[in-house]
Amino acid sequence: MSDVQEATNQLLDVNLCENQMSIQVTESGPRSESEHLQVTIGATVPTGFEQTAADEVREKLGSSCKISKDRGKIYFDISVDSLAQVHCLRSVDNLFVVVQEFKDYHFKETKEEVLKDFEDLAGKLPWSDPLKIWKINTSFKKKKTKRRKINPNSSKQKIDNGRGDTTVEKDVKEFTNSVSDSQILDSYENPAIKEEVSTLIGDDLTSCKDETEENSKEEADPEVLKFRVTCNRAGEKHCFSSNEAARDFGGAVQDYFKWKADMTNFDVEVLLNIHDNEIVVGIALTEESLHRRNITHFGPTTLRSTLAYGMLRLCAPQPTDIIVDPMCGTGAIPIEGATEWSNCYHIAGDNNPLAVNRAANNISSLLTKIQVKEGKLSLGLPIDTIQWDICNLPLRTGSVDIIVTDMPFGKRMGSKKRNWNLYPACLREMSRVCRPGTGRAVLLTQDKKCFAKALSGMGHLWRKVHTVWVNIGGLHAAVYLLKRTPQSFFHPSEQDGERCPW
Amino acid sequence: MRPLTHNLLSSHVRGATEVRINPVEFNPDFIARMIPKVEWVLLLEAADTLHLVEVPKEPIQGYEHNEEFLRKMHHVLLEVEVLEGTLQCPESGRLFPISRGIPSMLLSDEETET
Repeated sequence: MSDVQEATNQLLDVNLCENQMSIQVTESGPRSESEHLQVTIGATVPTGFEQTAADEVREKLGSSCKISKDRGKIYFDISVDSLAQVHCLRSVDNLFVVVQEFKDYHFKETKEEVLKDFEDLAGKLPWSDPLKIWKINTSFKKKKTKRRKINPNSSKQKIDNGRGDTTVEKDVKEFTNSVSDSQILDSYENPAIKEEVSTLIGDDLTSCKDETEENSKEEADPEVLKFRVTCNRAGEKHCFSSNEAARDFGGAVQDYFKWKADMTNFDVEVLLNIHDNEIVVGIALTEESLHRRNITHFGPTTLRSTLAYGMLRLCAPQPTDIIVDPMCGTGAIPIEGATEWSNCYHIAGDNNPLAVNRAANNISSLLTKIQVKEGKLSLGLPIDTIQWDICNLPLRTGSVDIIVTDMPFGKRMGSKKRNWNLYPACLREMSRVCRPGTGRAVLLTQDKKCFAKALSGMGHLWRKVHTVWVNIGGLHAAVYLLKRTPQSFFHPSEQDGERCPW
Repeated sequence: MRPLTHNLLSSHVRGATEVRINPVEFNPDFIARMIPKVEWVLLLEAADTLHLVEVPKEPIQGYEHNEEFLRKMHHVLLEVEVLEGTLQCPESGRLFPISRGIPSMLLSDEETET
């Protein structure tokens, strides 16, 4: 085991006790060692889908995950040359590199003492390896930012205090064409990025010339990095606010590095995550702009792709499964499906012509990009789009293996009253087209009461297997995994009405 | 709309005024596994209406290993795209248009009530 790795492992196990505030600082080893640099990555994922994300990490990176008690976060170790592949993970919203984790931090009695401890902490943390990772990662982001439109207004919500006593809310991500394109591009571009990693390892960390392209033109001294601290605090017994912690910790960080504090145009985002007695200090590897915007009930309803991915994974698609989203909107779910599960066949349908056109456009622009990238013989995308009515699907009975959809919540789309009739009709029609015995459905809705009532009359057709509680833009929603019973579907006139489950 | 999609629909293609052929990478495993899910009568109808290559009356014995057969099926199911055309419901006779590759299959309010 290299010195660096050993030190990192030790640090992860450090339990901070009251009197022992000094931490080992890991100096970077000789240049040749940095190729074997092991690093702990933290990832934020949609709450409820931590296990799904952990499964994906195991599958794609071969690493096992620790699922944090702080909901919506998982941690795993990788070697630095896998960093590019980490960005390929589809179930992850944001990534950060862990500087240090304190599993059982001892907070002192008074606010003054606690804040003083945070100030002292800044200069004692093992920053150098995480900063190396951050630098390598920044070179990936430069490629991406050319395509992705970063909304400058989103920075307004990025203030350095946390969210108070509650855990951080996860918000719906706006699925505009440009964002979807750049997201989906990631999975195709990364083989090229991986090559860059090996050439960058060993670069002088203090050379900041590359970063100046992104900095504002006002920056006089190109060597000085700009930073900010984001603190998220959750817990009943803290005597300080996240605002105060961020301010004092940030002040000490500034003194230590001589960086410049900048809330909006920063290079380095330092994360201070406090959950009861657990503290994690990290450096962000992704921008949070689109994910942490607080959405009111009239925000966009398009599902973010990490949630779409989690929902698809939940139904364990098998090769050649026919997967249908009968209320696809802009097509977030089927498009995610067609890219990640290309050995299945996907159908996107909606009654709204605007939605159908947008979904079709998203698909064709994605296809064009693939064709440009891969040459003339494209893989094609196994997906088609249809305009239809969910209550009268033009699909053969029992022809669909998986139905996965985001049902109207009744808040922005439709209404609660309309759901009362819509939900039973949907479930009935979905049970008709779904293959008896092996078919399954994964349905997201916030209208849990209506859903439960609609489902209660259909025990002979659907069996609820699993529920994942999620948070969509502040709304408490649920993802239901249903299995289609072996019973064949009969037309309502032939059936003896809908009886309660056996 | 590809013939594989068409095969899942309850309405059948009646005619196509614009069809495009898109080369798609051949995945024999995918095709072999998809064959049992295909409604063969519908496929024959579609192949006939769209003037596609000769499709056998039923899957050949041992089709899983017959590359020529699988390639033919791959072409018929995935590489043909109907851009403009018409579908017809066999029960009601109702016609549905296909425009820019997308079938539009909404029923009117009156129709859904019956």
